[in-house]
This record gives sequence, structure tokens and C-alpha cells, in this order.
Amino acid sequence: MTTTTTLKLNLGPQHPSTHGVLRLLLELDGEKILSCEPDIGYLHRGMEKMAEKMSYIRYLPTVDRIDYLAGFFYSELLCRIVEKALEVELPQKVRAIRVMLLELNRISSHLLWIGAFLMDLGATSPFFYAFREREMILRYFEKLTGQRMMYNYFVFGGVRRDIDYLEDVDEILSILLSKLKDYENLIEKNPIFIRRVVNKGVLEKETALNYSITGVNLRSSGADFDTRFQDSLYSGFDIGKVILKEKDSMARYRARILEIKESMKIVRQALDYLKKSPALEQKLINPVNMKLPEGDYFADIEAPRGIASCFVRSYGEKEPYRLKWRTGSYYSVNLLRKLLVGEYLNDAIAIAGSLDIILPEVDK
Amino acid sequence: MNYLYFLYIEFLQRHNIPKLFGDITYYFIPFCIIAIALLVVVLGLVLAERKLLGFFTQRKGPNRVGWWGLLQTLADAFKLLCKENITPDKADRFLFNLAPVLVFVPIIAALGIIPYSAEFTFVNTSTNVILYLILAAFPVLSVFLAGWASNNKYSLFGAARSIAQVLSYELPITFVILAVVVLASSMNLTGITLAQTSKWWFSGWFIFPGILGFVILFICILAELNRCPFDLPEAESELVCGYNTEYSGMRFAIFYLSEYAMLFANAMFISILFLGGYLSPFGKYLFGSSFLIYFEQAFWLFLKASILVFIIIWIRATLPRLASFDLLKFSWVYLLPLSILNLFVAVIIKFAGAGG
Amino acid sequence: MDWNKFSKVFANCEINGNKILIKSGLHDVIRFIVDNYSYDVLKEIIAVHNQDDKIELIYHLYSSVDEEDLLISIFTDNEIESIIDIFKSAEADEKEIFDLFGIKFSGHDNLKRLYMPENWEGHPLRKDYVQDDTRLSRNDNNDNA
Repeated sequence: MTTTTTLKLNLGPQHPSTHGVLRLLLELDGEKILSCEPDIGYLHRGMEKMAEKMSYIRYLPTVDRIDYLAGFFYSELLCRIVEKALEVELPQKVRAIRVMLLELNRISSHLLWIGAFLMDLGATSPFFYAFREREMILRYFEKLTGQRMMYNYFVFGGVRRDIDYLEDVDEILSILLSKLKDYENLIEKNPIFIRRVVNKGVLEKETALNYSITGVNLRSSGADFDTRFQDSLYSGFDIGKVILKEKDSMARYRARILEIKESMKIVRQALDYLKKSPALEQKLINPVNMKLPEGDYFADIEAPRGIASCFVRSYGEKEPYRLKWRTGSYYSVNLLRKLLVGEYLNDAIAIAGSLDIILPEVDK
Repeated sequence: MNYLYFLYIEFLQRHNIPKLFGDITYYFIPFCIIAIALLVVVLGLVLAERKLLGFFTQRKGPNRVGWWGLLQTLADAFKLLCKENITPDKADRFLFNLAPVLVFVPIIAALGIIPYSAEFTFVNTSTNVILYLILAAFPVLSVFLAGWASNNKYSLFGAARSIAQVLSYELPITFVILAVVVLASSMNLTGITLAQTSKWWFSGWFIFPGILGFVILFICILAELNRCPFDLPEAESELVCGYNTEYSGMRFAIFYLSEYAMLFANAMFISILFLGGYLSPFGKYLFGSSFLIYFEQAFWLFLKASILVFIIIWIRATLPRLASFDLLKFSWVYLLPLSILNLFVAVIIKFAGAGG
Repeated sequence: MDWNKFSKVFANCEINGNKILIKSGLHDVIRFIVDNYSYDVLKEIIAVHNQDDKIELIYHLYSSVDEEDLLISIFTDNEIESIIDIFKSAEADEKEIFDLFGIKFSGHDNLKRLYMPENWEGHPLRKDYVQDDTRLSRNDNNDNA
């Protein structure tokens, strides 16, 4: 007599397509997934514990590491907390600089996702093409901030130095626009790609909200949910809405491409403003012995992988009493538990890839 | 027996060596020639693929070892030779070590029956198309052996996928080859080549009546070789490395190199069936009557095969991987009926030609 | 938002701007709010180990329709009811809070250490946590697969 049992597969933490050190405990029947249990914590750096021991200015350079693909967003969050607590109003030029860099950062993050997602699907070339475009943006960041990924450029009350090399941004925008057309030809019209992503990993809007999925993944499920519209940093900028109704991996792909285009428009607006604006005049907060008044502070921002938010409780000390990060990917990992069940192994990889999970952001 | 054999025996008899010795040693010589030639071709292919993929993705490719990176694969092979051969603890040791050995045998045998030029084929049987078909499908057995013996779940998945893939793509291949056999009225690879001779340049090649068959065969060969977009058995984003996940050092190198050897062998096979094999595309040879004609013929075969290999690499740089169900569906739903249709077309062409 | 309906049912809750402070019955409160108001996202659960040695849990709700935040705050010692039947995303948050603060969520059947090893003693984000670096050298993370 033969008995059939299910197969337990340990996908990760060292696996080429888990985008870091995610471990998925899969229970398989053949190649069909019966259950999925994500296991995280292989990259945990204790960002929240660390904050309780450090003054704000000492903590500021480390927060870029929470998401190494979109570091600006997290330093912006911490700056925003401090600026909110000390009631500092940012000059218009600082806001424009921040918006431009954030949106460029978003573009570079989405570009990397496109490459990595196609890599998950087995196409190697788009990875290099996406990296080539991302490289232009990183070069610009390096010129401006001295760092390619961990910028440490935003400081409390402003930016570390005045914006420069604006002609590079001009060039990035014009090149990127033509390259996006290449992506359409190479990727979006490819019948194999279409077969792999259309109607795969359908995520209903209600499920997404219930699982606290935000950002592009939610907007590609048909929800009109973008915190940039309420964000005071973005006030005065014309932001386009990207809302897709298809709910599948293809929608998530197209939403990111469209979002890159929208971000480019925002960058263009900020760039036009910055080109005309006079030299930077800002009043930075003196970070030495800086104490936040007693109270709870919230700040959130539309990061590339969903809403990122920061909560600080201060008792008037130099260090925060408690600091908590909310990151988008953390909830996407939790969604895998539901979304992968019933899928086949190679579709599951594609679906997990389409959610844009970045492990340092998950583990914090 | 063929021309080479007689040449060899004649050479031995001139030096008063008995014929029996020649009969025995004759089969060792091609083995050595093939093994050496294979190594050179494969090392070149690996470099070519890496260079081409580099160019396709706007990189330079390997360019450090040797001029233009020419010695890169040699260096890699040397590195792999020096590395430790690790056998996993729970693996089936005997089968695990046997699999890389077995994978090379059918490839060398398959190269032995390919007509490189007129009179230059090591083993020439009257039905060597069938023989080639068997040998080409053989490596999947060692792939399965490797996957099974590794005692690794990823390897097992790779092996199972590989078996499913070859099973479903072997059938269309057989029908396509049958159509070629009907057109050529021969089951011998040399016979098939010669049946494509014509007066005007390359008009006699079977690709013209059998363009459908050519496309089907090309796709099926991609699947048999586990090449992109059919690289599911070793899909690195899903199965880490598929069936050879646990292999290291020289054993891994053998799997890796045998893939490329099989790639080139199959490219030559397609060239023989559809692109006139060693026939010159100009209808006549540059070295019409001299001894060099044999080398020229081999050159044409290699050139045609290289173009096919180039296309295969090009496809790899362009396409994503198929989903596993689409892969099987593609064969059973589209390729198999089309290949049968192709056979009927071939029969009709043959009878129309014979009647007229 | 109109909180009159809410205050009628839960009389002992303090409503302060967009923050509601409740004493007990967390599950009922959140169920009521989800059913009667447009809050449909649980953005996060924040845990703070207060100076009076109680864990404060702040449930950060969000309404995607009205684009409004709501904070529901509750104090607890070590056990509280889980709300994963209302918000699936709470599963992730509760696991994290269990790991870092040692709060048990009744009704959550998959509570395991998340960042710390299975056999780790203490919960790092509690204020009474004693840092003992000698333990870092040994790491017996027992896996179940």
C-alpha cells in the first residue's frame, strides 16, 4: 500500500528569488502550494531598540538603511517627526528639493523592481536595462549627496547642502522617457510575459485593505488611496492618479510603469521651480542637545512599497522613549500567506515578486 | 563501412599492421577526436554565450583572462577542476556519482554519427536518424538520476520537470523527423543531406517545403535542451539550479559543459535535416575538387549550426520563462497536431513531386 | 466623525480628538467601529512599554473613504484579545508585539518568536529588558521543517 504525503519545501532564506533573506515554509502537493508560512527576522537590525538609545541626530544616518532602495523616504520621515514636534516650517525651496529627490528615489526603486520581477520570471535582460537607467539616478545622487544609497542628505529643518547639477536631472528625465518605450516593446507585448502575469495573483480591494496593503499594490487593485494628496510636502505639486482595475500581477507591473511616468512629471515640476529659484536659505534646527517636547508624534509618507510611517513618543528627553516604524513590505509578506495558497510554484515566485517585497524594510 | 575506415586500414596495411588491430582501434580514434574537438567547441560556446549575453544586455562580458576574454572558460574549467567534489550526506552516492558520467556518453555517441562532410562520419548506419533521436533523448535519464540521487527537493523538482518536458516534446520531434525522412526517402543522415542537393544554390533545402517542421523542431529542441524559454528544470529563480543544485566542482562542470555539447550537436542535427547539412549554400564548393573540400563542407555545417546557436542565445536574452502548464499545453495542444499536419504536407509534396 | 452613536454603546471610553482611550473590551470596540464607521484599514498596532509598567497598545485605524486616522488606545499587562478575525493584517503586528513585548493575544493561534530565536528569554523592547550579550554567541533556533 502506498501513502501520499505532502512535501515541505523550505524556500529561502538563501534562495535566488526571495529578494533578500525571506524564508517561506511551503507545503506542496506536487508543485501546488497548500500552505505558506513566511518566516522573517534574518535581517533584523533592531532599528526600534536602537532609537531608544540614540539621540535623534545620531539616529538619522541609520534610518536610510531601513529600505536601502528608497532611503530618502525614511530620513524624510524622521525629519518630519522632528519638524512637526518643533513646529518648523520648511521653506518652499527645501520642499521642492525634497519632493524631487523623493520622486527620483521612487523612480529608481520602481526600476529595480521591474528588473527583479522580470528576473523572477526568467528574463535576464530587462534586469540589466533597468539597472542601466537606475544607474543614472544613482550617479546623480552620488554627485549630490556623496552616497549612492545611504544618502543622509535630509537634515532636521532642511537639507545638508544646496541642490546642484540640475542639468543631470534634465538628462535623466529625457533618457528615461525614451527607455520606457523600449520596456513596452520588450516586456509588455511579450506573449509569454502576458501569460505569466495576466490573471495571476488576483488581489481583491477588500482583501488588500484587510491585509493593510497600501501603495502601488493597493492602487492596482482599484483603490483610490494615495497619501501624497494629503501630504503638505507635496502641496502645490500636480500629482497624477494611477489607479488600475485589473488587480493582477500585470496591473501591478503597469501601475509601477505609470507611476514612474507620473513621478517624472512631479520631478519636472520641482525641477522647473528649482531652476528659477535663488540660492538656498534655510534655518536648520541645531541637533545638539535637541529635545522633542513631550507627546506622541506621527508622520507618514507614500513610500514606493506602501505607506511608511513613524511614531515617536517623547518624554522631553534627548532620545525618543519609543520609536516605531511602519513599513509597507512587512504587510505584503503577511499577505503571501493568503495569496500563494493554491498557486503553482513558478507562479508563486512571480506573484511574490510582483508585490515588491524588500527584506530590510520587513525586518527593520 | 566508410571511407575513413578504409583509409585507416590502408594506412595500417602499408606499415604491415594486421587488419584486426585496425578494426579494434578504429573506434577509439573517433572517440579521441570527438572528445578533444568537443572540449574546444564547448569552451568556445560557453564564452560565446557569455559574450553575446553581455552584448545583448549592454555589458562587456568576460574580458580579463586572455585577449578579449578568450581564456575565460578555460580558467573557469580549471577553477572547477580544483574545487572539492562534495557529495551530500544523504545522497545516493553511487547514482550521484554515476549521473555526470552517464550524461556525457550519449553526447559523444551522438556526435559520432553526424556527417561532418561527405565521407567524414565515424559511424554510418542506414538508419542513424533513429539512433540520433534515441541518443538525444538519453541525457534526460542522467538528469533524472542526478535529481533523484541528490536527495534535494529542488533537484527533484528539476528532474521531474525535465522528464515531463522531454516526454511531451519528444513526440512532435519524431513526427517532424518522419516528415523529413519522407521528403528525403532516406533514414540516413548523409542520405538526407544529399537529398537536399539542387542545381540552383540552396533551393533544395528542406526548410522550404518544411518551414513549419523547421519551426516546430527548433522549438522542441529548445525544450529538450532546457534552454530559455523552456528552462524550467533549472529555473534559477524558482529551483535554485534545478537538478544540478547539489553538484560541485568537476561534476558540475560536466553537467554544464554537456549542456553546451548537446546544444551544438542538436544545432548541427537541425542543420542537417533542414539547412542542407554540409552542403554549400552556393550550390558549388570553393575548393571544388581538392582534398580541402572536406574541410569546406565541415565549415558550412559548423557555420549553419553556429547561426542556430546564435539564435538560441538571442532567444535566451529576450524571453521570460514559460509557466509549467503552458509548457506542456504548448506541446500537446499546438505542436503535436501541427507536426502531424506537417507530416501530411510532406507526404503530399513527395507524391505530387513523384507524380509530376 | 460623529461619535455620539459610539459613546452611547461604550460609555466608559474617552474620546479625545481622533484618539479613543478604552479600558477593556477591545475586540467589541473595534468590531463596533468597523461595522458602524468607515474605518477599513488597520495601519499598524503600536506598543509602548509605559513608565508605569503597563503596555499601551495603540491601534491605528484608517478610513480609506474619509481619509481619516483613528487611534484606539488600551492598556494591558500581558494578555489581550486578538483582532485577527477583523483585520488580517493584525496577525503580523500581533506576532511582532508578542516577540518584542511579550503580550499574549488570545485567539491568535500562531504566536511564535519573530525576530528573536525561539528559546530567547525576555522581550527586547520592554523597558525592563536586561541586555546580556553573552547569549548572542549561542543561537539554537529550532526550526519546524
